[in-house]
Amino acid sequence: MKLFKKFVYGAAVFGLMASADAMAAGNKIVMDGSTTVGPIAKAFAAHFTKATGVQVTVSESGSGNGAKSLINKTCDIADMSRPMKDNEIAAAKGKGVNPVENVVALDGLALIVHPSNRINNLSKAQIRGIYMGRFTNWSQVGGPNAPIVMIQRESNSGTQDSFKELVMGKDNPISQRTETQASNGAIKTRVASTPNAIGFVGLGFVDNSVKALLVDGVEPDAKTVKNGTYPLHRALFMYTNGQPTGIVKQFIELPKSAEGKRIISEIGFINYY
Amino acid sequence: MNLGTRKLLDRSFTALGIGSIVIMGMMLLVVLVPIVFNGVTANVFRGTVEHRKLLYNEFRRGDKAELQREIVESDAVRSKAYAMLDQFEVEMSSMDEAKQAEYQDKYRQVKESLKALLGPRPGGDIPELTRYKYGQTRWSKAEEKLHELLYEKQWDYSNPDAEAKEYFVSRSAGFQGTSLVKLFPYVEENLDRMLLPEWTIYWGFITDSSIDSHIFGGIWPEIQGTIFLAIGAMLFAFPLGVIAAVYFTEYAREGFFNSLLRSANSTLAGVPSIVFGLFGLAFFINTLKVSESKSVLAGSLTLAIMILPTIIRSAEEAILAVPKTYREASLGLGSTKWNTIVTVILPAALPGILTGGVISLGRAAGETAPIIFTAAVSVGSAIGLADVFNSPTPALSWNIYNLASEHEAASEIRHVQYGMVLALVTIVLLLNMSAIILRARISKKLKG
Repeated sequence: MKLFKKFVYGAAVFGLMASADAMAAGNKIVMDGSTTVGPIAKAFAAHFTKATGVQVTVSESGSGNGAKSLINKTCDIADMSRPMKDNEIAAAKGKGVNPVENVVALDGLALIVHPSNRINNLSKAQIRGIYMGRFTNWSQVGGPNAPIVMIQRESNSGTQDSFKELVMGKDNPISQRTETQASNGAIKTRVASTPNAIGFVGLGFVDNSVKALLVDGVEPDAKTVKNGTYPLHRALFMYTNGQPTGIVKQFIELPKSAEGKRIISEIGFINYY
Repeated sequence: MNLGTRKLLDRSFTALGIGSIVIMGMMLLVVLVPIVFNGVTANVFRGTVEHRKLLYNEFRRGDKAELQREIVESDAVRSKAYAMLDQFEVEMSSMDEAKQAEYQDKYRQVKESLKALLGPRPGGDIPELTRYKYGQTRWSKAEEKLHELLYEKQWDYSNPDAEAKEYFVSRSAGFQGTSLVKLFPYVEENLDRMLLPEWTIYWGFITDSSIDSHIFGGIWPEIQGTIFLAIGAMLFAFPLGVIAAVYFTEYAREGFFNSLLRSANSTLAGVPSIVFGLFGLAFFINTLKVSESKSVLAGSLTLAIMILPTIIRSAEEAILAVPKTYREASLGLGSTKWNTIVTVILPAALPGILTGGVISLGRAAGETAPIIFTAAVSVGSAIGLADVFNSPTPALSWNIYNLASEHEAASEIRHVQYGMVLALVTIVLLLNMSAIILRARISKKLKG
């Protein structure tokens, strides 16, 4: 029995330690969804917790999962890099959830290649051709003589949906030979380590390990995305159930605040407000 | 078989045995040495004055007066570099427009690199994100950034048939004939006086919360989440498993139904863990609604189901290993069946049952797939015991994956990832060690 007592004491000590860093319980925000919005959500969460003491947890499981979580009422805010689809809205209404769209920031869908690739510029038609499998060698679009390795996101991804809508169009399926990665970060890592690869990520993920291409001769940056000259631009959203109230409302309004705007532009996304 | 062949066979078997043990040991070394070596760099490294600024500003840790002295000392060296920037800016404004345009982009890159190295310039505006508020906190990273300041990476596209090769161009060559040329050798020579590196042991890596999504700070929320999840899983699975094992060994009659149950149990042990994860999401969260969102509770329940078959099997084996004479003696003294099980059989089987339990505990701590959908988040603060019923938690296994693939600055913070791996391996190792010690102590007690 002595041993058992030791266990109990050990557990009690551990419990005390744990509850010591418990913060004001009861108030918390749970976020789930897009890996593109993830960096903004995480930075906002840290900022918000520091400013208000409210606990914020962030999961990055993809826009589709974010929508599902909101529909099943397992999260307060769903991060999405695409607007909700009609069938998702219908499913939500069926469960008594009223999804409300809140724009967080603007994003350019950057086409990235390995920096060793001489290609600097592709037209939308060329990108479409590459992903349809019509062009299989970089030399067909003005690059080196090397096979093209196309990389896409999984079906759950909002970035994938945006890419299909902005580049591919309805009747042009993506080639079966395209490799799939599960997050923006994974695509960046894959492209940075594969000289012949091409992939697409949110603008905030572009760094000097990869090269962002000009699309139709326009460089993706804050100015061209904001004024719409960069052809592959889109909005990033945070969906809530009904009009946000209380702490969720406070959180959702961060992109309008001065600090929120700075966070968004420091991460590399573009302010909407 | 004659004696000679037998001896030969015997010897070759011994050799084979020793050989396989040596190979196993070497494999263990190959795996463990890099884990330990890389993991330790998360705690022990050459920290710069920026690291100490961070510690003081975020955690109020460190000697304020000493830090002030260091800041003054390093700022004195830095200010000369900033003065060179100012001088060049004046020089640039007096150039004609074509030249200005030529230098502008190059100069911007130099300024950015210097900022990445030393942090934002004092007196300038302070960035909102913590990651941009400080310069390089680790000397090894600072050396990389210094290289980026001194040399520009370019790609040689001249041969259209071959893959382009990278080469480095000295940035100072680009500013030949201007005053900025002095900056590069100055920074290179005086970097250690600007950053004041010294060997640091950062225990806070284990006990601090992360700052700015793991770019700074520690991994305590992850460690705590892992322990909560594993212990929670045990709380559900251990009693259930032992009771089921008692039923299988003492009460169940051999028959079709019983063998069906047993084979179902064995099958369950072989189901891939991601299946349990999805089941946990569908059953505990979406159907039973044990919590509003992902939570430690839902994660623990899912892990419990995953480790239950192992616990049942090991408990069963342990109970069956109790000598029949114990049982017969107890029953012969007039004890009831239930009394015999509780007072004689279970205590005698306890070492075996506990070993199985602790090994399952280690497995629960290390699993990723079951908690992806039921409990784990990429960022969150450490939760209290009261929050386990409705709060999700970060956990080591999941965050290692997150830092390896999804994190936006994954390549910049490899040391955090290594540190997490070491922490997880250590936790599992400690659990297994405690199983061995516990077992030894209990069996000693039973014998004495």
